[in-house]
Amino acid sequence: MTMRLDAKIPDGPIHEKWDKARFDLKLINPANKRKFEVIVVGTGLAGGSAAAALAELGYNVKVFCIQDSPRRAHSIAAQGGINAAKNYPNDGDSVRRLFYDTIKGGDFRAREANVYRLAQVSNAIIDHCVAQGVPFARDYGGTLDNRSFGGAQVSRTFYARGQTGQQLLLGAYASLMRQVGQGRVKVFPRREMMELVIVDGAARGVVVRDLVTGKIESHAGHAVLLATGGYGNTFFLSTNANSCNVGAAWTAYKKGAAFANPCFTQIHPTCIPVSGEHQSKLTLMSESLRNDGRVWVPRKAGDKRSPDRIPEEDRDYYLERIYPSFGNLVPRDVASRAAKRMIDEGKGVGKTGLAVYLDFADSIQRQGEPVIKEKYGNLFDMYHHLTDENPYRVPMRIYPAVHYAMGGLWVDYNLMTTIPGLFCLGEANFSDHGGNRLGASALMQGLGDGYFIIPYTLGGYLGSQKLAKVDPGHPAFAPAEAGARSRVARLLSIKGKRTPASFHKELGKVMWDKCGMSRNAKGLGEALERIPQIREEFWKNVSVTGSGDLFNQTLERAHRVADYLEFAELLVRDALERKESCGGHFREESQTPDNEAKRDDANFCHVAAWEHAGEGKTPVRHVEPLKFENVHLAQRNYA
Amino acid sequence: METLNRIVTSSIGRKLVVALMGLLLCGFLVGHLGGNLFLFVGKDAFNAYAHHLETFPLLVPVELGLAGVALVHILVTLYLQLTSLAARPERYAVTQSKGGRTWGSSTMIYTAAAVLLFIVVHVATLKYGARPSPEDLHGLVMRYFSSWGWVAFYAGCMACLGLHLSHGFWSAFQTFGVDHPKYTPVIKGLGTAFAVAVSLAFASIPVWARIAMGGSQ
Amino acid sequence: MKVTLKVWRQKGPDQPGRFEAYDAEVPSTDMSFLELMDTVNEGLIAKGSDAIAFDHDCREGICGMCSQVIDGQPHGPDQGAATCQLHMRKFKDGDVVTVEPFRAKAFPVIKDLVVDRSALDRVVSCGGFISINTGAAVDGNAVPVPKVDAEAAMDAAACIGCGACVAACPNAAAMLFVGAKVSHLALLPQGGPERARRVLGMRQAMDAEGFGHCTNEAECEAVCPKEIKVSNIARLNREFIKALVCSKE
Repeated sequence: MTMRLDAKIPDGPIHEKWDKARFDLKLINPANKRKFEVIVVGTGLAGGSAAAALAELGYNVKVFCIQDSPRRAHSIAAQGGINAAKNYPNDGDSVRRLFYDTIKGGDFRAREANVYRLAQVSNAIIDHCVAQGVPFARDYGGTLDNRSFGGAQVSRTFYARGQTGQQLLLGAYASLMRQVGQGRVKVFPRREMMELVIVDGAARGVVVRDLVTGKIESHAGHAVLLATGGYGNTFFLSTNANSCNVGAAWTAYKKGAAFANPCFTQIHPTCIPVSGEHQSKLTLMSESLRNDGRVWVPRKAGDKRSPDRIPEEDRDYYLERIYPSFGNLVPRDVASRAAKRMIDEGKGVGKTGLAVYLDFADSIQRQGEPVIKEKYGNLFDMYHHLTDENPYRVPMRIYPAVHYAMGGLWVDYNLMTTIPGLFCLGEANFSDHGGNRLGASALMQGLGDGYFIIPYTLGGYLGSQKLAKVDPGHPAFAPAEAGARSRVARLLSIKGKRTPASFHKELGKVMWDKCGMSRNAKGLGEALERIPQIREEFWKNVSVTGSGDLFNQTLERAHRVADYLEFAELLVRDALERKESCGGHFREESQTPDNEAKRDDANFCHVAAWEHAGEGKTPVRHVEPLKFENVHLAQRNYA
Repeated sequence: METLNRIVTSSIGRKLVVALMGLLLCGFLVGHLGGNLFLFVGKDAFNAYAHHLETFPLLVPVELGLAGVALVHILVTLYLQLTSLAARPERYAVTQSKGGRTWGSSTMIYTAAAVLLFIVVHVATLKYGARPSPEDLHGLVMRYFSSWGWVAFYAGCMACLGLHLSHGFWSAFQTFGVDHPKYTPVIKGLGTAFAVAVSLAFASIPVWARIAMGGSQ
Repeated sequence: MKVTLKVWRQKGPDQPGRFEAYDAEVPSTDMSFLELMDTVNEGLIAKGSDAIAFDHDCREGICGMCSQVIDGQPHGPDQGAATCQLHMRKFKDGDVVTVEPFRAKAFPVIKDLVVDRSALDRVVSCGGFISINTGAAVDGNAVPVPKVDAEAAMDAAACIGCGACVAACPNAAAMLFVGAKVSHLALLPQGGPERARRVLGMRQAMDAEGFGHCTNEAECEAVCPKEIKVSNIARLNREFIKALVCSKE
């Protein structure tokens, strides 16, 4: 095929690459920036910060979000914290260590240069957020406080109680609204991106649906930034918000953007377990809880005693036992799989047996309830509301759940996809987390991309192009609009018997069973057969009530489920092709004798980037080899 | 000028005006109550006080000022009440407090109406009513409260005043932004105490007049 | 158990609305109220009817998208919780539950239970920020912030912008929302330089959007899913007075 994956990684030593890139990238004269129109889709940490930072530079920015306000993007739900290499605690942190931990945490499947740059900009993110008024936790002396997070032996995580994502997002949102007030940003809320518009080979606009009026609208710009988050909802039950979806990325994929490593999905170890068939989503309990909570199960399988009746000697604090040096703070993929092993051995707790305990009794005794309340109060309240159990008295019950998408649209070092002028930021891209994201790294990456990387790389792109004037009257928009309209019309015309949600649930069950925490060739093969069948039935038998020119959530759902039904197949295909275990992707065929993930660096030390080959055709797998020149490729060891 | 403009054109500024006038009226209540308490001292003391007050050279300007304060308090509130109605054109089918509202706070407009009615009646009957002799306001008061009906009316209106104050006093401080974790409970306590004390003290006069004096001299 | 939902149905912004009753089987009291709405909707779609439109997103009480007035209380009977955190264990068999949209002139109904809360965004765009350009910040520890102030700022900053305060206020005032933002930024030294400008700007926008005035009834505090206190309204008033007296703008 014709697709070329040029990562455009600058030459030179790793710590000089970003400096060199910034020098080499073209600049745009301040007065000329206002002649450019930038389209940003998504207003989470990545999109919100990018839009604000670009508007501050003088670009005209149009921002689209699916919710009723940019402030509601799902970054808001991130709880635990944001990493930075500040080394305020003087405990041995550095840019290099943050880089190393992130590469290792990602099980050596991320790009060195990108991750190093992320570690380099991490400190500036904290400074900027503090200046914006983000109320980070502080010590009595007035300085910023840090806590530890999984996968690291230093305390480098900055936090605002259990609402760090919320506070960072509100910071970005505030900066964005400042620009709205100054007229440089126009926000389009309750819009769903339906199509990407390409003119002369470059991304020049989007077609969106106004979710309130059903109107299909065209918007043109000089570049398009997708910051549309992850695809976890493909699994139906995940920690993602309901509106999180793969639609925008999927449209871009179909227009020629490569999709990288879709099989890298993170299963987060500390979520509130499923309570029944009615369940519509899963709720995360921040990983930070593992700082003070101890994970355990009964030592004997089938021990159904209530937790307070199980004496110390009958408990297995299995993370502390198996991984003595990291203990409860092992990375997420490791913790999730360990929980699964315990449950598979019949040691699961609670009514369903699909849970392990996260116990705070020791910490409450050692530090006192007020201290625990100050650190995690809102998380404990959240748990209490949901389960009607008081975690100050009884241990929390937790179970792994689909959480974060490490995979995403393939981007080069400049965050540009394989479509010129189409950039992808934050969770929606693939670049920084490899096979597993460390806790408190998503916020860092989203904001790093938005505040400190795209403002340079977008300028570099725009400064080096001669882009013709394009407006929504351009002939490229009409077919895109027609495509969007016909999709809506088609969904409404089926008038079948089953609801969109029922298809979503069915797909999710296949995905979780065959492509969840552990995967094997047989199961993946079955999923590859099953998904097209579900898809086929969907297009024959889905019932979408209501009308296309009014607010219609059933239609929105159907539209998104239709995308999942296509994307899921790519995800499974990627999982089938990657015949190694790595980070969140665990292939049963590739494990060590003690059931840890076993990488295959000889054959899979690469990024798999998928190219759309046309409707009904098998997509093409391209490979970007990963070179590790600054860290030693080693089997991860957290013991 | 800009400052004045900001006060009169903003919802917060208007509330500040209402609160300020409210507190001035609270001051008046204290003064008026202090005077009225001469009734408990005796006829001569009370009439002397009344004489002193009525011959006070600035009485008319003060009265006009007081009326002005009351009028501003009422009119601005009424205006705000209209904006409040406009802010929710469609009402709820069901409303249920979750614990914020109190008896006092949710009946402000009604207790205000009762107090206004009271003021009109009170001024008409006791300020301009016919006295046994020009210098004998005491006589007028006593004659007046010989009727249980009037006593009940007065006491009822004072209960409304108390209810109004139970919210209004603290509310004024809140509007002025006087808030502190240490002192706000004190202010709230003072507000309740003030409301109870003022309404009881005012109400005690007609009751005392009717019972202790049998309603006549 | 079984409950009956009396739900406000309204086709569009300028259409008349009315209540419709739906009987719903509750399979488990662990089910959330919104999940019950989901099952009612599944039934409606299967019958070919238009589903009840209601806003929701994160379903863990942080995005602020969910609204609804349930039996006369914004976000329903649970304390310190958003509608999405309300569980059926708070209801009894046979309950008739009335569900209405947030009602305020500034929150026009879009459909059924969905309202337009963009007025809150417009208020924020008139001052609810600190003017700092990306790249201009000093080191995060350059300006110490007393822990109590940082904590108080966090208490105020916890606002999820759901608008329940407006919905519960007898005057449809947005004072708690604005007060929380003004407080958050006034409590931090970073917010100092723009204090006066911020409070004057946000106040003006708030009034222009058609929100009512504050009568200090604290119903907003009672319904706030993040339990934000009316002391933030006092601080807003204080900031406003300070700006009136001291502002050179």
